[in-house]
Amino acid sequence: MAAASLAAKPAAEPSLRRSVTPWGSFSWGYSDVGADIFVGLGLVLGTAAGASNVAFLFAGIVYVCIGLAYTELAAAYPVAGGGQYFVFRGLGDIFGFIAGWAVLLDFTIDIVLFAWSCIDYLSKLLPFLGYVDHPWVHFLVVFSLIAGLALLNIIGVRESSAFNEFVSGLDVVSETTILFFGFLFAFQPQLLIHTMTVSWPSPFSLMNGVSLAIISFVGLESISQAAQETQRPASVIPRTSISLILTILIFALAYSNLALGMQPWHAIPPDPHGHAQELWQYLGNENNNGAAVAVLASYVPYFGTIAALYVPVLGAILLLISSNSGVFGSSRIAYAMSGTQLLPSIFQRVHPKFRTPAVSILTFCGFAIVELIFASLPSLSAPVKTIYARLFRGEDGITFLGDLYAFGAAASYSFVFIALIALRLNDSQSPRRFKMPFNVPFTFKGNRVEFPIVAVIGFVGIVSILVFTMITHEIGRIAGPLWIVLGIVGYLFYRRRKRLPVFGSQPHDWRKAQINILQEAGELEMMDEYLVNVKRMDAARTTTRETLR
Amino acid sequence: MRNLVRSEGYARARLVTGSIAAVLGAILIARTLASTGLSFKVIPACVLGAAMIALGIVRFRDYAAARRGPL
Repeated sequence: MAAASLAAKPAAEPSLRRSVTPWGSFSWGYSDVGADIFVGLGLVLGTAAGASNVAFLFAGIVYVCIGLAYTELAAAYPVAGGGQYFVFRGLGDIFGFIAGWAVLLDFTIDIVLFAWSCIDYLSKLLPFLGYVDHPWVHFLVVFSLIAGLALLNIIGVRESSAFNEFVSGLDVVSETTILFFGFLFAFQPQLLIHTMTVSWPSPFSLMNGVSLAIISFVGLESISQAAQETQRPASVIPRTSISLILTILIFALAYSNLALGMQPWHAIPPDPHGHAQELWQYLGNENNNGAAVAVLASYVPYFGTIAALYVPVLGAILLLISSNSGVFGSSRIAYAMSGTQLLPSIFQRVHPKFRTPAVSILTFCGFAIVELIFASLPSLSAPVKTIYARLFRGEDGITFLGDLYAFGAAASYSFVFIALIALRLNDSQSPRRFKMPFNVPFTFKGNRVEFPIVAVIGFVGIVSILVFTMITHEIGRIAGPLWIVLGIVGYLFYRRRKRLPVFGSQPHDWRKAQINILQEAGELEMMDEYLVNVKRMDAARTTTRETLR
Repeated sequence: MRNLVRSEGYARARLVTGSIAAVLGAILIARTLASTGLSFKVIPACVLGAAMIALGIVRFRDYAAARRGPL
């Protein structure tokens, strides 16, 4: 009865449709994170050289901690918004906004960066799409791609999800095959150790490599973004997340170890000065670092001949769906933030026919287009190129986007770890179908709670990466904080105009909210468990008060 | 597609690929350690092998869950 009264909704409002299945949930996450290695491998090899696998390992350990944190939180609070919602709930309104704003930065860059790289991969087969030789064609095709993805997402998640599910499956099979042939026929552990020994980078280059390597793991939270549209999320999300975490970690470590320790099937061409070079150097140079996975695949014994033909296409497809995940993710975060009055209510409007957050989709695809124009301008106009060179110390638009991508990810993940600890302490009554391992039980405010050691490790790791990003990326350390500051200014203006607490939080009925969340997710057992926990906690408090009297 | 990924046959296929991953992971660790000896530089390769073994274990658990009934 209590549940029924608490869970009663004031009115029937349009809501997101629950149509994402376990495989759909996996593929939403995979489509976002899986493509990152296609962009990240060459960049890390070009920077961290013989320690590239160490850079991926460091970033990978942090990524596992992040993944476990998201798995626990998304299963306990299956709502659209992901990390932003967890921070909002655990730390309050303003921190929820900052975390959400940082994630929004990442997702809008995700849309541009991966649409851009998608066309770069395709240009290996269709040279007229090349960025260097045909910048206007490249720009117009990327622009059309983003517009097309916006339309696909407005039509509905079912169509987008089916698209993702198919290509994610295809890519997992293909990448596994490449790695299988590479490790079976060409991997030499002695060569790996030799490369690591003679090509170990400077500490600065290693820090730069680690900050770039985290780019290869950004986007896991797509699973939690899709939580509000996933069927039985508390059961599905832990299963899909653990599989996803392992799959992505294996691919990143496997590609980096293979690049350093593989005996290539064909001779590597000399560098522009005529000097012999190793495979990892060839993959990390300017000509190949944008398509390192495709080039590496072509040097795999036997299978490389076939891989050289189709991997550029597959890479392009995966990058395309990663870009699609950016559209999906940004619109869902904005939807969630407007529902909690962190952003104007217009972002919560759902299309009456398709029941998708159409306004959010169009707005953040619009931001992505602005970023695309910013990134493309130097190649489209010579005077602008000169201005960019003067203002941004010669870095091009895409490098700028990459810097911001790393900054946004590290900033938002830092808040998520703190939020997880806060929620463990202050919301111990919410059932958790999955918990991060290694917890220390103790009593906090009269309740038995568990302190998550892994969250502390993850927090230290991600803050280190944030520091590495600030130290090694000249533009990122200015533009990243600037984005956050501008967002905060806008937030303060909006909250003041709406007469809402500016620095504080609005009163929230989290109990009612949690019951609604679990009821809408179909997790009725968890809802009952939650009610029992709440009653037990209230009874214990009453007893304590009476004893004190 | 949706029925396929919920079926026991699909879980069985994943179990087979997971088992192969686990075996290859064990081989990778053994081969790396045998040819290069103990050194901090073998850690990334050994973590990769361990992750592959973990994937096999996860897929075995998924298979056991699928046998108990669809989600």
